[in-house]
Amino acid sequence: MSPIQQLQSARALALGDGRYYPTIIPGVLPIISFSAEQSLEVQRWGADFLAEAFASPAWPSDVKESSAPSVLATLKDYLENVDDMSVVKSSIQAAASVYPLVYRHTVHNAHDATNWQLMSAIKANILRRMDSAPPGVRVCCVKFLQQIVLVQTPGVVDPRRPDHSDISLALAPRDHPLIPYVSLEAEGHGLLDRLLDIIHGDHSDGLLVTATLNTLGVLMHRRPIAVNKILTSIFNFNPLKLANSPLTPKNKVIMKSIERTTRSLLMNIMKRDPQNPINGRIQQFLERMHRTRVEMADEVNRKRPAPSEPTDGLDQAKRQRVAAGAPSAVTQDTMPVAPPLPPGPVSWRQLFTLNPEGSTVNFDVQAFRDPEQLVRILVPVLQSVDQVKLGHAMNIVRSRYLSLSQATRAAQPAAPAAEDEEEYEPDFEPEDAEQINNRLDGLPPTDLAFQSGPSTALAPYKLPEAPPLTEQEVQKYGAMTVNRAFGMLSSIDDTQKSKVTKGGFNRLAASDYGRDAWVTILSRLATRCSAGLEDPQEGIKDEHAVSNSKGSLNISETVRDGMYNYIISDWKKRIDVATLWLNEEWYNDTVLAQSKDVATNGTANGDTFTSVLNAPNGNYQRCALRLIDGILPYVEHTDKIILRFLSEVPALNYDILIRLKKMAEDPERIDLACSALHYLYMFRPPVRDIVVNVLTQIYRSNDRARPSAKKLLARWKPEVLAEEDAPLVKSEEGQIAKESANGALEVKAAS
Amino acid sequence: MEPQPTGTNGAAGAPAALAAPAAPNPNVVPDHQFKLKFCTVCASNQNRSMEAHLQLASAHLPTISFGTGSLVRLPGPTITQPNVYHFNSTTYSQIHSELSAQNAALYTHNGLLNMLGRNLNIKSYPERFQDWVPGKPRLEHEGDKGFEGTEAGVADVVITCEERCFDAVLEDLHNKGGKLNRPVHVFNVDIKDNHEEALVGGKAILDLALSLNEAAGKEREVHGESGWSAGGGAARSGFDEKVPEILASWQERWPQMPALWSLAWF
Repeated sequence: MSPIQQLQSARALALGDGRYYPTIIPGVLPIISFSAEQSLEVQRWGADFLAEAFASPAWPSDVKESSAPSVLATLKDYLENVDDMSVVKSSIQAAASVYPLVYRHTVHNAHDATNWQLMSAIKANILRRMDSAPPGVRVCCVKFLQQIVLVQTPGVVDPRRPDHSDISLALAPRDHPLIPYVSLEAEGHGLLDRLLDIIHGDHSDGLLVTATLNTLGVLMHRRPIAVNKILTSIFNFNPLKLANSPLTPKNKVIMKSIERTTRSLLMNIMKRDPQNPINGRIQQFLERMHRTRVEMADEVNRKRPAPSEPTDGLDQAKRQRVAAGAPSAVTQDTMPVAPPLPPGPVSWRQLFTLNPEGSTVNFDVQAFRDPEQLVRILVPVLQSVDQVKLGHAMNIVRSRYLSLSQATRAAQPAAPAAEDEEEYEPDFEPEDAEQINNRLDGLPPTDLAFQSGPSTALAPYKLPEAPPLTEQEVQKYGAMTVNRAFGMLSSIDDTQKSKVTKGGFNRLAASDYGRDAWVTILSRLATRCSAGLEDPQEGIKDEHAVSNSKGSLNISETVRDGMYNYIISDWKKRIDVATLWLNEEWYNDTVLAQSKDVATNGTANGDTFTSVLNAPNGNYQRCALRLIDGILPYVEHTDKIILRFLSEVPALNYDILIRLKKMAEDPERIDLACSALHYLYMFRPPVRDIVVNVLTQIYRSNDRARPSAKKLLARWKPEVLAEEDAPLVKSEEGQIAKESANGALEVKAAS
Repeated sequence: MEPQPTGTNGAAGAPAALAAPAAPNPNVVPDHQFKLKFCTVCASNQNRSMEAHLQLASAHLPTISFGTGSLVRLPGPTITQPNVYHFNSTTYSQIHSELSAQNAALYTHNGLLNMLGRNLNIKSYPERFQDWVPGKPRLEHEGDKGFEGTEAGVADVVITCEERCFDAVLEDLHNKGGKLNRPVHVFNVDIKDNHEEALVGGKAILDLALSLNEAAGKEREVHGESGWSAGGGAARSGFDEKVPEILASWQERWPQMPALWSLAWF
């Protein structure tokens, strides 16, 4: 039995059960250990075996760890004395597998200096080869380098999930006699830099670059500490570097391969951690790389075009898309030329058949029993119809038809019309589809002679009439629609409120479909849609009615209710809506009042603007009061927005402003009421009288508000104060009683 | 149209061509020669990878094969009803008998039964690449064609049959983490998934494999690393760095199958 055969049977044993490795390796070592007279074959076998053994997943790494030191001497001898590519490559692979094991062994056996020195010698030997060895060997060195970097950088130390398989610098105690933490760490980082330098270096063989790229994925995964450094390096990396050199077939292959390998690596990183914020930059890099490659636009990088022959059934997903790219540049030459119609009478079918030889002539659509199937076919077919061809075909049919109809018109007087009289329908009423079908199929060709004109238009399809809605239903659905409109309004509220662009006078009321547009639409819907339709006498009865509780078909009221609720539900944010709405109400009332004046008196009342407020069935007054009554209870003393509201509403009167008196009864809100009045006095001169009037009321009826009111009245209407200073006389008694009652109440509340 | 696989250059091809009359099949690698270990990969480990597996194994090259899909997918009665099976457990003969029972005429007509019949003679079941543990001995696959040389469960060359599979293989090798520290050349040869193209693709793959194997064998014949530095030019370069060149010249012979390549790690 030759030594190789012996060795082979030992290996077969180990392959059969990995547990035999610890016993087989000592048995094999005497044969494979380096000696000068050893055959190359044995050395190759030995190196291969060691690489295979320590890579094998069939035995656990802690068992490997105890076997690893025994093979170091052999590996070192191989590397230092054997001058064969295969032996060197396998030895480096074995060393890469053994390095972490020996490191861990040394961590646990702090005094085993011999083995660590052997390992260090192997490491030095391999690192020396990095720059000078043939690429095949250097590739293996790259992997060895990766292993060193893994071992000599700190891993993730998560006490909750200790990873015993991860051998990293974290295992080494700082005071280890053989493993100088700091210098190993420095070496680890240095070697990582060296590794990264490779991808920026020479691309001419592609081998080292792709080999390095393919080691980086694991490094990034297992050493988060190095991720940024590696990614930065990759982002600065140009996978298409070779584009500048002559584009030989070899360079094309290499460039494409490097690009693809880079993409693979980056995709893997993104897939591993889809939430990683760096993914955006990775994506950018990939897109840039893709663009660069497309820009280079050399044909190598294109996939082969889709083959012309039909694909078979094996890979249905790869069928050519029917819809894609109908040939757009069809010239007139390639247009199908339709043969002329046969002389004599022709059928409808012949008229429309452009290609009598084609297979579609005998195609019967009725063969499709399943309409869904038909739809599946029809839709893509219709999508793929070439417009130019269709137009061409239509032109052919049109010209055929024209010449035919001219011919028949000439022949018509002579045509025997009598025999088909019953079937002949001379009217131009659109026929239904069935009639047309029957006609097309059943009529003999001669029938064409009796067609005085085309009657082929399809009858318009009428939807069956819906059952009439009851009044309640109409109301219900109307209200639902309005509600939906307001629901939509609230949903776009927050998103659109922010971007306010002032269009000024050029603004179109509802041009964008934003919040303001909808508010305008709705408020006009409320005010104008039924304007002028009401019974003019009706309103007299319920001037201040909040809403007609039932039975009203008046859409305006529904919209007004919706508007009111919409504003009240968040009045501070929607106060502008309130202003807008009230403006619309006021405008509508004004227009109505004007037209009524014109209609009834024949003369325009010059004072329509204020008369709106007094119009018996005006909506403005009612709505304004309702809104203010709705809002005021919620106004806090800090809500200056009420000032803005009062100054922006189109018209004010006593009824509206007297609500402030009510508000001023709350001691907290006295100042607010007074400043509102102050503001109105200053900036809204037409209501000055009313303001003073209201203030007087407050002054007289509200003790707590008296000091604030007094200050204002002193300037505006000192005579009121003078009145007050004078001893009270005659009719004011009731008032005093009331005041004192108020005062008593307040005292009580204060105590 | 099938080009004769020749060496990477004329001089190298000549001895092979001269030897051809003596050897019944020039595409068979004699057993005493060095052999790279091959691994073919497609989506379902049924058509393209298996055709290539057969051709490589027939050339006496150690070969294993895998699919990268999540499931084995075969055409069914309609486009929306594919026949789907699990990797690593459903045997080719099970699939064969199931499909014959389902619709023997249909599956004979579209060639599935024929394909499965071929496959069950190559190995017993479709294997998924992602589930493969490289380096795990494959002694239980002894009956497979091309088993000789693959018992240790590794390969020197992986050849995928479409870019999707190439990406999946590179991705999976990243995930596997390169624990073996063993380099592997991963190639992609774009082959359309039908019987005819698979046959042509299989020949192309065999051509590539033979070219690679020849170069790798030569590297071992040159004794000593010093022989390397002593020589010059092409003679100096070893197998690994010749790979791009080999692929480039292969690509010129097979321009309709765009190729990719990467050196990855088991």
